[in-house]
Amino acid sequence: MPVSALGPFRPPFGRSHEVSPEPLTSYHTPVYLIALKMLIGNRGKFFAMLFGVALTALIITQQSSIFIGLMSRTVGFIFDTPQPDLWVMDPKVQFVDDIKPLQDTKLFQVRGVEGVEWAVPLYKGQLRARLSNGTFQTCNVIGLDDASLVAGPPTMVQGSVADLRRADGVIVDEAAANGKLAKPGPTPDSPKIPLKVGDTLELNDNRAIVVGIARATRTFQSQPIVYTTYSRAMRFAPRERKLLSFVLAKVRPGEDVHTVAARLAQQTGLSAYTGQEFKGITIRYFMKNTGIPINFGMAVGLGFLVGVAIVGQTFFSFVVDNMRYLGILKAMGASNRLLFLMILLQTSLVGVIGCCLGMGLASLTSIISKNSELAFYMPWQVPVVTALATALITLITATFSLRKVLTLEPGIVFRG
Amino acid sequence: MSAAIVCRDVTKSYLTGKTVTPALRGVNLEVSEGELFMLVGPSGCGKTTLISVIAGILNHDGGECRIFGRDPNEMSDEERTAYRGKTVGFVFQAYNLIPTLTTAENVSIPLLLNGIERAPALERAEEMLVKVGLKEKLRTLPSELSGGQQQRVAIARALAHNPRLIVCDEPTSALDHTTGGEIMEIFRHEALSGNRTLVIVTHDSRIFHFADRIAVMDDGQIVQVANSPAELSFGSNKEPSKHA
Ligand SMILES: Nc1ncnc2c1ncn2[C@@H]1O[C@H](COP(=O)(O)OP(=O)(O)OP(=O)(O)O)[C@@H](O)[C@H]1O
Ligand SMILES: [Mg+2]
Repeated sequence: MPVSALGPFRPPFGRSHEVSPEPLTSYHTPVYLIALKMLIGNRGKFFAMLFGVALTALIITQQSSIFIGLMSRTVGFIFDTPQPDLWVMDPKVQFVDDIKPLQDTKLFQVRGVEGVEWAVPLYKGQLRARLSNGTFQTCNVIGLDDASLVAGPPTMVQGSVADLRRADGVIVDEAAANGKLAKPGPTPDSPKIPLKVGDTLELNDNRAIVVGIARATRTFQSQPIVYTTYSRAMRFAPRERKLLSFVLAKVRPGEDVHTVAARLAQQTGLSAYTGQEFKGITIRYFMKNTGIPINFGMAVGLGFLVGVAIVGQTFFSFVVDNMRYLGILKAMGASNRLLFLMILLQTSLVGVIGCCLGMGLASLTSIISKNSELAFYMPWQVPVVTALATALITLITATFSLRKVLTLEPGIVFRG
Repeated sequence: MSAAIVCRDVTKSYLTGKTVTPALRGVNLEVSEGELFMLVGPSGCGKTTLISVIAGILNHDGGECRIFGRDPNEMSDEERTAYRGKTVGFVFQAYNLIPTLTTAENVSIPLLLNGIERAPALERAEEMLVKVGLKEKLRTLPSELSGGQQQRVAIARALAHNPRLIVCDEPTSALDHTTGGEIMEIFRHEALSGNRTLVIVTHDSRIFHFADRIAVMDDGQIVQVANSPAELSFGSNKEPSKHA
């Protein structure tokens, strides 16, 4: 009888099952099911790995969200003021809260520049408010152009921006009205009474009447924001030679914003930035001059390393535990490629579930901390970055384990 | 009968660091189809190395080793993987069942690796388990089985994909005498019924009588081939066999 090594299969005893004559290259789901059972069957290691990935995803998501939250707070005011095309200011201004007052005449110079549709003054400064219980609270006072009220609060909760035209009128932001500017209750233990329309405040010894409550983006200092008119702000502010903080300008339709900005700079000696540019300048200032990015960068980096360490370690030891079984599979005809795909499937499953758990926990903290001082802002980029980081951890781990599998000698199966 | 295994001057050395350990020093061997062939010899004489070469797990250094006409050394990696997956069945001393899979799932692995769907693979696995006398243990985890039962599962796994060659390394040495005898009965009845070839490495003289022929190895060579246990002359015959 002629024989060939890979000859046809003879019918097995019992019922015949045809074994495909092709080499074992295309693998179907049942093999991967085996891989999953091997993974999940090892409960202890499986949960340890899940924990590691979830912890990493949680740390990365949370820390980067808080970082982005803090950074976006620094530009909260610019964010709330979308009306002007250009912010005109002293060239030495480094960020939005760095006020270098201008002479009032600069407003007229700006208005005179070719291509400027309109230009309005804006006062931004810190004034002390005396609360009804006698304590003081520093407030961020915004003085809006009396005529146009440009740069007013983005959303009103009570009253309207136009109410600022009423005598001594101010608008207070909601968070401050419920918090820092709220009045103490009748007894020391009772909750504070929120500031409401009709209440009075004393701003730098001047009487002010609350005519509206607004919702504003939180700012970095978390100080109460008090909106009023420019002329009233002049009255509230201590006498100084120069009080004009910014000139907000609109570019005439059809004119290029950057051309007009350059012309403005040339003719007035001031700097003119678009809102986007001013945000960039402000964020760069905070990045460069505060420890925030380093601290958060370190937390995120540590989270990543912890993830690599925990997940890598547990997975590696899972693979080592399974070395004998991987060796049997290899002896029984599983290729290196199949073993790698099985390992990749195992790590990916851990990665996906762990990542979802971690991000879920992070979102939960964001929901819980919604109205607190905690700056938490999770734009879509954060989950994407977290997912990429976990994917990277998964891949690193799988690759490390793969090296072990590639050098795996199937002969180990014969050793006792 | 045609030859299933033909080894000519097969050599193999292990390289660990800078030391070279010769494990096979010119093995000559011929095993026919349908034969139950046993390999005996002192520890370290190269038995495991030889069946690893035959099973396509290790490459040999010199000589030739034709299994059903082809030398695993001449196969590509894919061909050798396919050869192991389709043509060879394995039984180990340490059973080597995957602890998180049920008995039926363990037995189905070679079938799955051969591209068979889960349902027919499990059906076939259960058939095999019934044949080895484990009708009651189809959905049991290996840890809940005795050593003899685990080895029966391993035999069912080795037979499931109907390979032409089965290699076993000490299949009975972890088992008591009676259980070892039962295991060998299964081999005789099930494994050889399909004109299959069996190569069994063993130390266990109590099972020698199951063999068609017994080869004695010493120091990397085959020194005697006996047709019955009575012909064996342990210890006295240390001369290397003549090369063919
Ligand atoms: N992976 C390896 N690396 C280095 N040397 C090895 C390796 N495997 C086996 N050897 C050596 O090769 C020789 C033959 O080993 P092998 O395992 O084939 O013997 P054996 O006859 O199966 O022994 P035993 O009856 O103890 O199982 C021994 O000297 C052993 O030390
Ligand atoms: Mg051995």
